[in-house]
Amino acid sequence: MDWLEEELRNALARKEPSPDFDGRVATATRHKANVVMMTRRWIAAAAAVILVIGAGEGYRWRRGEAAKEQVMLAMKIAGGKLHRVQRGVAEIRQ
Amino acid sequence: MNVPAAVQTGCDFGDLVREHRAMVFSVAYHFLHDRELAEEIAQDVFLSLHKNMSGLQSPAHAAFWLRKVAVQRSIDAARRRTRRPQVALEDVREPATRPAPGDPLLGELLRKLIATLPESQRMAMVLRYQEDLDPTEIAEVMGIPVGTVKSHIQRSLGLLREKLARRGVGER
Repeated sequence: MDWLEEELRNALARKEPSPDFDGRVATATRHKANVVMMTRRWIAAAAAVILVIGAGEGYRWRRGEAAKEQVMLAMKIAGGKLHRVQRGVAEIRQ
Repeated sequence: MNVPAAVQTGCDFGDLVREHRAMVFSVAYHFLHDRELAEEIAQDVFLSLHKNMSGLQSPAHAAFWLRKVAVQRSIDAARRRTRRPQVALEDVREPATRPAPGDPLLGELLRKLIATLPESQRMAMVLRYQEDLDPTEIAEVMGIPVGTVKSHIQRSLGLLREKLARRGVGER
């Protein structure tokens, strides 16, 4: 190793960062972990809200469908009865 | 990091920070010649390590990973800087007295001259003389051919000798 390489090794010797470096890293990792945890919580809460709204909408839709089926059935029954009455009236007129 | 993973790999985050902070910080500092930015980069590197602890296989792997990420982040930071290089050759003034080998002034002059080298050559020099890596290891860390690393080092040494000779600093 020549003199220049020796000088370069001395000039580029490792240096320590500021004394509070470890503390800042620890704080930053804790902060990041908290952010991740809070993000996960928000995602879970949003998913729960979407699920509840979806379930409510689904329930309302099914109730609507059931009511529609009942109305259709009632109309069919009423239609059948009306048809019989019309036939009876027609027979009497003849 | 969770405890079972730490026990399995022998890697504890706090221990890794204590053991490698000087290496990570110095790679960034000697490359960028900016203490504040180097600390920011070092902190960022350790945050990435914290996120990737589960992927580490051994303490040696952690050291390699940290060095590689420190190199990449430092190069990225240098490219983001508006003024490049941060230290221009004309800014490196001749010392009032000619520093002799072993003189702290020579160390400072060398650091300033290294800061004027092109990115790739500068990083190769930092890894060669700070980290004492051989050209094969430097090539692996920087992701460039070994031949390129060797020519970077030879060219940089030649350039430094020339600049030092011009400043009256020569052979012992």
